[in-house]
Amino acid sequence: MYPLNMKINWFKYSAPMNFYPLAGKLIPIFWLLAIALIGLGLYWGFFKTADILNDQKQYYRIIYVHVASAWMAMWLYAVMVAWAMIGLIFNTRLSFMMASATAVTGTVMTVIALVTGAIWGKTSWGTWWDWDPKLTTFLILLFIYIGYIALQSAIDDTRRSDKASALLALVGLAIVPVIYYAVNCPDPNECASLHQESSLKRVESNILIGMLVTTLGFWMYSFATILMRARNIILERERNTSWVSKLEEVNR
Amino acid sequence: MSEFFHMGGFGAYIWSAMATALFLMLLEPMMLVIKRRSVLADIKRIKRLEERKSRR
Repeated sequence: MYPLNMKINWFKYSAPMNFYPLAGKLIPIFWLLAIALIGLGLYWGFFKTADILNDQKQYYRIIYVHVASAWMAMWLYAVMVAWAMIGLIFNTRLSFMMASATAVTGTVMTVIALVTGAIWGKTSWGTWWDWDPKLTTFLILLFIYIGYIALQSAIDDTRRSDKASALLALVGLAIVPVIYYAVNCPDPNECASLHQESSLKRVESNILIGMLVTTLGFWMYSFATILMRARNIILERERNTSWVSKLEEVNR
Repeated sequence: MSEFFHMGGFGAYIWSAMATALFLMLLEPMMLVIKRRSVLADIKRIKRLEERKSRR
């Protein structure tokens, strides 16, 4: 009987009416985890790495926010596409709402990655910007995110805007593997890439801990903001339903 | 302590990168709270209007 129970729960929380209070309970938990993990990750990254400072120029510390936000920007894009696809296949309203809630947090992460990357580039490469393959493709990712949000808000009918923007998200997914492989170039002289080939094995272990724990904190931050935005979208779209008008926050 | 903020001469870069991330990651939830308040205020206003209408 276990699978049957799972099925019932799954469908229960795919209804905005049931998802809304659940998300409300989860948001403070994700905020606590986000603050604790980002705090711990940065503490580790700034105070537990003293022994390697002689060999390494200190600007590497930008890595904690730069890599975490760049990873999030790409992962959240995949998460957004997954929600959009579930929406297209099963025609569930909540999936589309989750997709558009994910897009804005993904955009914020992309902007953080680009700005912190420019600052890091200025110190280590001597330039704020270069048309390096990873930088260029990442800029395209930003434009795709903005395009998704713009397309969604350009069409008044939510069902139509959900479907159109879901298709745009799916087409844009092609950029994510391109960003990932943009630096895996055997000879830097041949493909003019400033970014190094990314290899976690080469990162010093204390820096790696700081980076991974901060990234986990960024995941929690993303969950918290996505759920907050999803609740706002649910309220906006379901404002005329009786369950919304019975909510405690509406009757205060 | 001031050596810590100096960061071997890269303090300005490191702290401005950290500040950018912090600023945007505080701005985003603040905007979400403001949005929630305005949506709730709208719903309440419409609800009050409808209740007044139905009393007449």
